[in-house]
Amino acid sequence: MATQPQDLKSRFAALGAVVIIVLTVLLIRLWSMQVLSGDRYAALAKNNRIREISLDATRGRILDRKGRALVTNRATLAVSVDPANEKVRDLIIRAQSADTDDDPTRAELEEAFGALATMLHMTPQEVFAKVADSKVEALRPRVVAVDVPLDVVAQLAERSQDFPGVRIEETSVREYPYGSVGAHVLGYTGEISEAEFAASDPTSGYELGDIVGKAGAEAQFESVLQGDKGRRLIEVNASGKPQRIIDEQPPVTGRDVRLTIDIDVQKVAEEQLAAALTEAHRQNFNKAKAGAAVVLDVTTGEVVAMASAPSYDPQVFLGGISEAEWKKLTDKASEYPLNNRAIMGAYPPASTFKVVTGLAGLDAGITYSGKSYYCPGKWTEMGAQWPKWCWKHSGHGTISFEGGIEESCDTVFYEIGYQFYQREKEELQAYARKFGLGSATGIDLPGEVKGRVPDAAWKKKFNEKYPEWQTWLPGDTVNIAIGQGDLLVTPLQMASVYAGVANGGVVMRPHVLKDVLDSEGKVARSYTPQELSDVGASSDDLGIMRRALVRVTETGTGAGAFRGFGVSVAGKTGTAQVAGKDDYAWFCGFAPADKPRYAVAVVVEQGGHGGSVAGPAGRNILAKLLGEPIKEVHTTDVSR
Amino acid sequence: MRLHTAAIDKSRTRRFLDAVNIPLLVWTVALLVYGSIMVTSATSGMAGASALARRHVVGIAVGLVPLGVAWLIDYTKLKHWSGPLMILFALLLVSPRIPGLGDTAKGATSWLQIFGVRLFQPSEPAKLVFIVIMAALISEYEGKIDTPRDAARVLGYLAAAVVLIMLQPDLGTGLVFVGITAAMLLVGGMKGRYFAVLALVAALGVVGVLGIDSTLDRMAGHDVALKDYQKDRLLVFIDPGRDPAGAGYNLAQSKIAIGSGGVSGTGLGSGTQSNLHFLPERHTDFIFAVLGEELGFTGAVVLLGLYLALLVTSLAIATSSRDLYGALIVAGVMGMWLFQILENIGMTVGIMPITGIPLPFMSFGSSAMVTNMGAVGLLLSVWSRRYGT
Repeated sequence: MATQPQDLKSRFAALGAVVIIVLTVLLIRLWSMQVLSGDRYAALAKNNRIREISLDATRGRILDRKGRALVTNRATLAVSVDPANEKVRDLIIRAQSADTDDDPTRAELEEAFGALATMLHMTPQEVFAKVADSKVEALRPRVVAVDVPLDVVAQLAERSQDFPGVRIEETSVREYPYGSVGAHVLGYTGEISEAEFAASDPTSGYELGDIVGKAGAEAQFESVLQGDKGRRLIEVNASGKPQRIIDEQPPVTGRDVRLTIDIDVQKVAEEQLAAALTEAHRQNFNKAKAGAAVVLDVTTGEVVAMASAPSYDPQVFLGGISEAEWKKLTDKASEYPLNNRAIMGAYPPASTFKVVTGLAGLDAGITYSGKSYYCPGKWTEMGAQWPKWCWKHSGHGTISFEGGIEESCDTVFYEIGYQFYQREKEELQAYARKFGLGSATGIDLPGEVKGRVPDAAWKKKFNEKYPEWQTWLPGDTVNIAIGQGDLLVTPLQMASVYAGVANGGVVMRPHVLKDVLDSEGKVARSYTPQELSDVGASSDDLGIMRRALVRVTETGTGAGAFRGFGVSVAGKTGTAQVAGKDDYAWFCGFAPADKPRYAVAVVVEQGGHGGSVAGPAGRNILAKLLGEPIKEVHTTDVSR
Repeated sequence: MRLHTAAIDKSRTRRFLDAVNIPLLVWTVALLVYGSIMVTSATSGMAGASALARRHVVGIAVGLVPLGVAWLIDYTKLKHWSGPLMILFALLLVSPRIPGLGDTAKGATSWLQIFGVRLFQPSEPAKLVFIVIMAALISEYEGKIDTPRDAARVLGYLAAAVVLIMLQPDLGTGLVFVGITAAMLLVGGMKGRYFAVLALVAALGVVGVLGIDSTLDRMAGHDVALKDYQKDRLLVFIDPGRDPAGAGYNLAQSKIAIGSGGVSGTGLGSGTQSNLHFLPERHTDFIFAVLGEELGFTGAVVLLGLYLALLVTSLAIATSSRDLYGALIVAGVMGMWLFQILENIGMTVGIMPITGIPLPFMSFGSSAMVTNMGAVGLLLSVWSRRYGT
């Protein structure tokens, strides 16, 4: 020690003394509370008369990009049954006990809930199923029905003795001013499940029975929309009956979330998807029941519209969905309307993928602008025993690279694919991955699937049990080149590819969140657009591809759909073959071609041909975006 | 250098044992185990209980990093880093006030995942930075602060730190700064009568802050500086009968829980008060109330015993320090721990006002955990360099 040791020693002693004093003070206090007055406190604990109940916060609203409310709240009257009622409690305990002999009989349920059930147009069993729901916090009143008509409420109130434990409560439920429009993006709400509850962040204060977002934006932005619960401290008497409110901390309403969706465009996208299904049926593709459409802002990745068919009405979830309704929504026969096919559907992209193959070919020097090909209709480069057909069996004859895009000539892309195979570097797959295919885009919506970009390693693993199927063959690469084979993409991924081509090779991460608003409606936080990937395509190559894509809508396979359209559109049709199904119709594109703003992707499952089914839908969605007139288009297309 | 040759002669084990202070590690580990048991018990029955207990253990694991780093750093070098450390200190305390800091860069997607969840509380590590800065300052006086000018300079630094923390505002951490400084000045040789001035100024300060704040609130028309609930907590302490169910609710419930624990407690996981949700913040600031109810006076004595052992070991390290600077760092850490123990346990038994200060090594919360582990690292750094390099 540098300084006077004597002096320091006494100071350390003083510090030690402070330690001893502080700990002793605490010890004495604890001794007095726990040992001397322990019994008094134990008695206090037993009679603790203060109960805390939580007050639910109103959920934040979901707005469209222009601030129009897509999901809001409305007050409604709910009928609930209080489980604390003696008669009700007895029935619940017997139903929940392991002993099934003890279960309430039909007659008992009829007696307890018969009158109520009749008024609510339910059966006593249905009412009791909700009352005895073990998922709800024990003391919480069980909501049996919401949106109960006023005359029913009046009768229930008048004859309250006849309805044991029944209460009328004002509650707030979700309202959808645009009905089912945008249902897949918006999602729906429901009671928190036991798994969700167990996995939730403890500091968020969830309780069983709480309403939470279950799908779409409602689920994705749950933490923002939820708000903070309030709490009310009430004094109760010895039997637990509330005497007075002692303290109340009001709940804090959840924050509003503004999405990138434009509800007007969304509406048109859904209408056009429905129209495409009708058009498919008109062309005798009667199995067409489902599809998806996506619109992206090419410079920011904002999702302007995202439609999926068939759709559902989010209102059916209010106050708890009935078992019959749930079965309908999750049934194969109804084509799984809850699925958002724009991000959950994985399809072969067919000819719309030729954009990727073409750019990859240009980049690798395999092809070039104006390169001449010969299409005999039947292509036998891989050997006469492995023929591949162009969709046009009579052949395109001599055709340029650009003509191959315009006419969607398969032979041109077989050639390019075969050359990629011979180079043995899986460059085509690598290029597709650069566009984001084969992995999730990371859009801020739950449930997105990755799709698949097949390569030799994948094939080997996929056929682990079948050694004879493990070898990567030339035909595998050739199939990918025309967007078939084992290649799978989501409509969102495909829209991103075209947005990337439009945006100079830079793919922006697609997203639906624009900003989060504070309690005064001012922007609290905004989403910052992010780059998903830079393909690294040269502007020369992109220019070649863009001009070829414009020829598609002017004189090629998309010309019928875009006849008379006032803005130059770069697009591509596709007709995907799926084993055991009718062909899937595709259209992808962006516009205006010279100064791109929007990219669109449309797919119709088993809809037939891209140019005559998906093309017209893409045309009208772009028309809405660019201020062109929307019109019904009937055209023919035999290409793939 | 004198001991250097001698050190070479020692066996490797011997040198390792010299660098490590075994008792310090033993008491720390014992407290961490005790804390983990209590957090597990307090969170059982809460939503996501297992995730919470896991997060507590992860916090301890993460804390090993600052512990190791602080240990490896030659603390004597820190003396010359006061300038940058002051900038770091100010940044830490001001950062929560900078809108959107660190979030916009990550974009909204990742921001939403952390939305509403603080990554860490900068005021916690700031305590250690404060200790290191103050140690350098006080050691300048070589153990003798006996002119009003010197005392005023040291207290000026403290005042500046308190003003910065009140920007948040975080009264509890501000008081911790005062506790740290008091312990360091005691070892640093401040004249006795200045302590009386310090105490007087602190008392006047609290009263003054309350008064000025009320005036400010009235002038601004809304809540500025101190939040109303903070004022309520202080006022309730002065007059507990004021509002037994409102702001006094926490205190009343915590006292009932601890008192009803009796001598041996109700047993782990079976505290009725804590499990029936009467006890607020039971795994964080009020963890001691859970301990008091479930393990009773016996459990409390064990905890206080562990703290005593930790502090006595720390004092021994201070005594062994090769210089005053090292002793001051240890004194600062002791001041931090002792004050937090006094304040946290004190508030749960109603002898200190309620402020949000965690109980060292016991409360759930990674920021505090990482800070306290870092403090152990600082002590080890002083210990392992007691002979000089």
